[in-house]
Amino acid sequence: MAGTGTAHLRPPGETILRVEDLVVEFPAGRSGLKVHAVSNISLDVKEGETLGLVGESGCGKSTTGKAIMQLPPPKSGQVLFEGHDMAKLSGEEQRRTRTAMKMIFQDPISSLNPRRKVEDIIAEGLRIWKVGTPQEQQKKIDDMMLAVGLDPVLQRGRRPHQFSGGQCQRISIARAVITEPKLIICDEPVSALDVSVQAQILNLLEEMKTRYGLTLIFIAHDLAVVKNVSDRVVVMYLGKICEVGSPDVIYQQPSHPYTRVLLDAIPIPDPSIRPEARAKVIGEIPSPVAPPSGCRFRTRCPKAQSKCADEEPKIKEIHSGQFVACHFPLAPGETLPTRNGSGPLAS
Amino acid sequence: MSRRKRGAAPGSERFADAPLDGSLLEVTDVKTQFKTPRGLVHAVDGVSFSLERGKTIGIVGESGCGKSVLSRSIMGLLPRNAVRHGSVTFEGREIGKSTGNSMRQYWGTQMAMVFQDPMTSLNPVMRIGNQIMESLRFHFDVTKDYAEETALALLNSVGIPEAERRLREYPHQLSGGMRQRVMIAIALACGPKLLFADEPTTALDVTVQAQILDLLQEQQRERFMAMVLVTHDLGVVAGRTDDIAVMYAGRVVERAPTRSLFEQTRHPYTEALLKSIPKLGQPSHSKLDAIAGRPPDLVKPPRGCKFAARCPYAQPKCITDEPELVDAETPGHAFRCFFPVGSQAGAEALARNLSAGETATGLPVRKEGEAVLTGVTV
Repeated sequence: MAGTGTAHLRPPGETILRVEDLVVEFPAGRSGLKVHAVSNISLDVKEGETLGLVGESGCGKSTTGKAIMQLPPPKSGQVLFEGHDMAKLSGEEQRRTRTAMKMIFQDPISSLNPRRKVEDIIAEGLRIWKVGTPQEQQKKIDDMMLAVGLDPVLQRGRRPHQFSGGQCQRISIARAVITEPKLIICDEPVSALDVSVQAQILNLLEEMKTRYGLTLIFIAHDLAVVKNVSDRVVVMYLGKICEVGSPDVIYQQPSHPYTRVLLDAIPIPDPSIRPEARAKVIGEIPSPVAPPSGCRFRTRCPKAQSKCADEEPKIKEIHSGQFVACHFPLAPGETLPTRNGSGPLAS
Repeated sequence: MSRRKRGAAPGSERFADAPLDGSLLEVTDVKTQFKTPRGLVHAVDGVSFSLERGKTIGIVGESGCGKSVLSRSIMGLLPRNAVRHGSVTFEGREIGKSTGNSMRQYWGTQMAMVFQDPMTSLNPVMRIGNQIMESLRFHFDVTKDYAEETALALLNSVGIPEAERRLREYPHQLSGGMRQRVMIAIALACGPKLLFADEPTTALDVTVQAQILDLLQEQQRERFMAMVLVTHDLGVVAGRTDDIAVMYAGRVVERAPTRSLFEQTRHPYTEALLKSIPKLGQPSHSKLDAIAGRPPDLVKPPRGCKFAARCPYAQPKCITDEPELVDAETPGHAFRCFFPVGSQAGAEALARNLSAGETATGLPVRKEGEAVLTGVTV
């Protein structure tokens, strides 16, 4: 995989955000080497859509989210938000544009200032931009707290440590939504939560999205979670895109071997499905300092051939609306070697 | 596999006469409380189960239901403000009152634990090799070279590539998955008969989670070790355990052979946990059946059924009386509920609540038995 290309992008007029050839690199110590966190990623989001970004830790999905916010600005590539190139905007213009984009972070407790009251945390955006009179602001804060399932009268004066993880994530959502943004980037918002609380937060995000007409970029490593909330899924691996498509299609008919591996790694609450009979996860994600040549997934791919080392696959449409970057995509119904060693290919 | 070089260690001789039949671990009415400024926290409140050699039990529940405290109570790894009641027997010996020094002979050689967060559980300023060798050299009278050889073999067996080099590395040089493999190697070093895995994969990616769970299962089978797998995710225990105990507010609310638990779910809490997992088979944007509210405050647990406030089946009786653990039809299956799922009484209770629009505790319910998320959840 590890594919580049823009075949999966939709016409610019239809989208609210368009990212082209995004490259983010970090210096690796004093050695002069570079961490290739994101390499030529292109993606786009339609208004009102939820785009799911999925992949393992270190695949660059969070970096992509932050680079869209210009935190820090990417090394190269374009981020067009409503037609404006984020990198070309002056500091002040960028600040104004950013009010329409918000982020929700993974760890709900450490992303809230422990010394501030909940109402002040939620109100900060309003106060910075001086939206309305103090009375109007207070009303808005109370309404927002109710909307995310918090009791304003009882809880507005409390501090983050008095809340559970799920409630802190509700506060983060309230803080993000209160300035009425268009786009919210949710960076693993439920990874730190219990399954029962996870379901509450996912439902809340869907509810807020409908109520406030939001567009979401939802970043997570669990494909089951991403599938539940997304309209379009982008599977990433080591700074590249593997597969793009609608969640139902990707689930029923994954064409990239990595998507299959990710799907089969999800624990299923059904004892009749034996873990041994599911696709094997080979090895670990390689270092992004020296990514493999050609297709970056080849070192862990049971289908890899010599072509995969020589030539980087381009993203191409394999079925209508399903895009894959792979020289040897999976045929419908094709399986990978299982964990107990049986399967069509030797690993 | 014999690790002893110069005769058996004194620690292991004490267990030479241990009976090989009967259950390995017997936990009876264990209660653990913590003294806090707010009052006594009833973290574990009367839990009983037994575990045979080579078997795996899964302990499942939300954060704060007492599942981690239970495994630490059995291991005797509790802080000073804890009070322990009840009996724990290991190979027929009572260890329920033992702490610190007297438990040392058990830790490592008889029972060991793999913790949730591998970064904070490993010593950051000690080489991987020395961390594995530490317990070997403590329990057995072995030479340094022999311990190092064993550590190398252990690292290989837990699937760490270039084990020789890794022995001299520090935890920060390893990825999260590799660190958890090291934790497992440390736990297995002295060949324990019982392994506690306390949320071993919660901090890890799904792909690494699958690898670590496979590794635990493989090692458990090879060594004929018993395992207690603690998790909040029913998906993790399905297909990997022999029995499952579902805990809520410090109590076991349902206990059953794995298949029976999933196929003949009796307790509404188990049902609710299962429903809250996003399923791959569902179309996207399906509304998830979240469990409304939060577990109760364990300083002042409610009088009746602890789950009543969040239960779509709740009736007036559930508020006043607490159900006992009763047996279901399947052998080994027990639950704690007056109106169990899949029974006549349960169906009637749910129908009554649906037509009233709310349960006896005031929880709003609508069709499909799904609890509605109201604005305020305190």
